[in-house]
Amino acid sequence: MSATPSAAQVLSLFRCLLRVARDFPDYNIREYAKRRTIDAFRENATLSDPSSIYSAFSHGHSQLALLKRQAAVYSLYIPSLRSVMELQQPPF
Amino acid sequence: MASLAQSSISLPSLSNRPLVPRAGFSKPSSVSLSISGRNFPSIALQSRGRQFQVRCAAKPETVEKVCELVKKQLALPEGSAVTGESKFAALGADSLDTVEIVMGLEEQFGISVEEESAQTITTVQEAADMIDKLLESKA
Repeated sequence: MSATPSAAQVLSLFRCLLRVARDFPDYNIREYAKRRTIDAFRENATLSDPSSIYSAFSHGHSQLALLKRQAAVYSLYIPSLRSVMELQQPPF
Repeated sequence: MASLAQSSISLPSLSNRPLVPRAGFSKPSSVSLSISGRNFPSIALQSRGRQFQVRCAAKPETVEKVCELVKKQLALPEGSAVTGESKFAALGADSLDTVEIVMGLEEQFGISVEEESAQTITTVQEAADMIDKLLESKA
């Protein structure tokens, strides 16, 4: 296991997280996952200690695995009524 | 472009070849421009265009949409000049911003950008070029 992830690996993790977040059929979870990854990566952008960088990276990696599993589970039970935020035109 | 011209030349030459094999049968892989009996002025023009490099520029409305998205993502004030040549780093975007911009472009245009190509985008023009290329290959 490499000690410190490179910048390219971190950006690749960021991109993977955003891609998986797009696959959620639920509007709320989709938006939250996007918001949360952006906030977390911005907050940890200024880390300089290698061990904290590594722990943040491995945490992000485990969250990516979790997101993938949950996206698969949620897509099995898509509700027929989507969120009102996804309507193309407002109902009134 | 040159390879396209070559492949389009070889097809008519194969169809004009007589079916009876004669002595001294040339290799089918050779491209002969002297097609007997038929006149293909358009192909002759294409073959001479090998020195002329055509660089496909992105459509202006694509560049417009990319500029709009970049302005919104980086929260730039309304009057700021974002042109095709502006680099993302010069506009104040760090690498996370660049990834977000590429993801926003993917969503808006309905395309999918690969990892390596996404890492090489540094200016608005490059992004617009890649979007047009992906839209063309998809259509």
